[in-house]
Amino acid sequence: MSLCLNRLQEERKQWRRDHPFGFVAKPQKTAQGTLDLKRWECAVPGKKDTLWDGGIFKLDVIFPDEYPTKPPKCKFTPPLFHPNVYPSGTVCLSILNEEEAWRPAITIKQILLGIQDLLNDPNPESPAQADAYNLFKKDRPAYERRVKQVVKENPPM
Amino acid sequence: MDSDDDFLSDVSSAGDFLDTQNSDDESLGDDFGDDLDTGFSDDKDLIKQKRKPYEVEFKVLNPLDIQREQDVQVDDVSAILGLPPESAAILLRFGRWKQEKLIEGYMEHPEETLEDAGLGTNFEGLAKTEKVADFMCEICCEEGPDLETFAMRCGHRFCVDCYRHYLAQKIKEEGEAARIECPGDNCHRIVDSKSLELLLADNNALQERYRTLLTRTYVDDKDNLRWCPAPNCEYAVDCAVKARDLRRIVPTVNCICKHEFCFGCSLNDHQPTPCTLVKMWLKKCEDDSETANWISANTKECPRCMSTIEKNGGCNHMTCRKCKHEFCWMCMGLWSEHGTSWYNCNRYEEKSGSDARSAQAKSRASLERYLHYYNRYANHEQSAKLDKDLYLKTEKKMTSLQSQSGLSWIEVQFLDTASQALQQCRQTLKWTYAFAFYLARNNLTEIFEDNQKDLEMAVESLSEMFEKPVPELAKLKVDILDKTAYCNKRRVILLSDTAENLKNGEWAFNVEW
Repeated sequence: MSLCLNRLQEERKQWRRDHPFGFVAKPQKTAQGTLDLKRWECAVPGKKDTLWDGGIFKLDVIFPDEYPTKPPKCKFTPPLFHPNVYPSGTVCLSILNEEEAWRPAITIKQILLGIQDLLNDPNPESPAQADAYNLFKKDRPAYERRVKQVVKENPPM
Repeated sequence: MDSDDDFLSDVSSAGDFLDTQNSDDESLGDDFGDDLDTGFSDDKDLIKQKRKPYEVEFKVLNPLDIQREQDVQVDDVSAILGLPPESAAILLRFGRWKQEKLIEGYMEHPEETLEDAGLGTNFEGLAKTEKVADFMCEICCEEGPDLETFAMRCGHRFCVDCYRHYLAQKIKEEGEAARIECPGDNCHRIVDSKSLELLLADNNALQERYRTLLTRTYVDDKDNLRWCPAPNCEYAVDCAVKARDLRRIVPTVNCICKHEFCFGCSLNDHQPTPCTLVKMWLKKCEDDSETANWISANTKECPRCMSTIEKNGGCNHMTCRKCKHEFCWMCMGLWSEHGTSWYNCNRYEEKSGSDARSAQAKSRASLERYLHYYNRYANHEQSAKLDKDLYLKTEKKMTSLQSQSGLSWIEVQFLDTASQALQQCRQTLKWTYAFAFYLARNNLTEIFEDNQKDLEMAVESLSEMFEKPVPELAKLKVDILDKTAYCNKRRVILLSDTAENLKNGEWAFNVEW
């Protein structure tokens, strides 16, 4: 447990010192007004010159007690239209799966950058929602129209 | 001895055409006395030399054997390729222990092979923990000159505590051993056993678990090995039967723990039925048997559209809800021909009625056929369970028989033998019914059914003798011995015949499989 909190403290420090442009990551405030280090509010911008450019997508990152042995859970709020995002908003990504590519040394920065990559580069091998996956596979123009719509609905703050 | 002699010659002639008459006289051994000892051991040699057509060659390995097998291969590869043993082991696991293919691949592309296996090409330096200046662990963010750290040859360095924590998580929580990768992001270097032993030096339980998991992967990786599925059994069976052979062989093997199972599918012995048919049959029984029974007992089909109809009340005037056909529930004939004899059918001989009934009978036939086989299958399964109870009582019986009859322990062993024979024969009989269900009728099936019938009758009569009260058992000893040997013999004949035909592809089946 202390490992988890120490590490999160450190992550917070490092993020404040330096983080990629346009990204947001900060621990949530609890009802008492203190910081909850195990729930972070984050936001990932769409990459420049991609379909997703111009949007910024909010997600909650929830750290388990076993962090960093086990990966955090990343959940778009509201759920995002994307082939690898579950209807609940949870992101399906290999580096977030402890039985796949999760390593204790992966940082929040790496996770958020990974998610940004995933936006424009979905993995058709592990579909998580029917909606976006079917359009992506069968009707690319319609898929792209939907993405542009989603970008419009998520303007920079 | 007269009756025994008669009996023996009987059996021999029955077995002659299969050449197996020397194989199953073990149970009679006690009766022959000393003068037959030499002959008997000859029999045993013969058994060893000649496998019956339904038997396969196999070897049972204990955990030490399995470990030794791995060690031998690791040492070989280590010597041939000049790699440290712990690296050779990783390479072998990566190549699923196919040594030749692996060495060939390595010779052609050494660097790629090492990279793919998660070894890397750098073998310099010893695995050791050390203190490093200006170090911060990327996992726990601890820093300081006193921090003990570790890195494999990939150079991803973490503090020893985090490394240990990570290994414990992988081994204990995820049950991973053969493919634990470096904790560094995107590094696929496998943690070798030497590094692991160094880091977990004070945790024997975890090391033990690690080794168990490695052995488990070894057996799982090798096509010629399979764990014995009996609870708590630690043995594995080594058998050369391949998956593609399973159409022609039913490879029953016998573990040292006495569990008899199929090497092809790990289910309990199911000779003579091949694995695929067993799976089909079990699935069918799961879906169908009770439903089919109920349908058979409570419904009829509409004579026109064959929809299954349950008559849950009312009169005999039926109107099919699907096709609106009107018919009489009793005679299945057209209702329009019934005239005024409503609600009380006495027109059994009319043509329309008998036509409808024969159509009905046809569609019922397949159901009835299934139930015929299923009921016999289920009956033997049930009886085998009862026999098991009986087997447990046998020992009690034997003790009481000893005190009542004055027979010695060795002389009452015949009950034990009989009980085992009963169980084995019932197991076989049970599966002959599943097998027969999928057989297309021809001359071979006639022979098969004769064999089945012979065995079944013998088993039932042995079963009956076996249930007699204790005082009578002593008098029945010779009869029970005879019957036991006869049952075993009939089983051998049935299985040999079936297995040979299966091997030669002689059976015709009524399903694709």
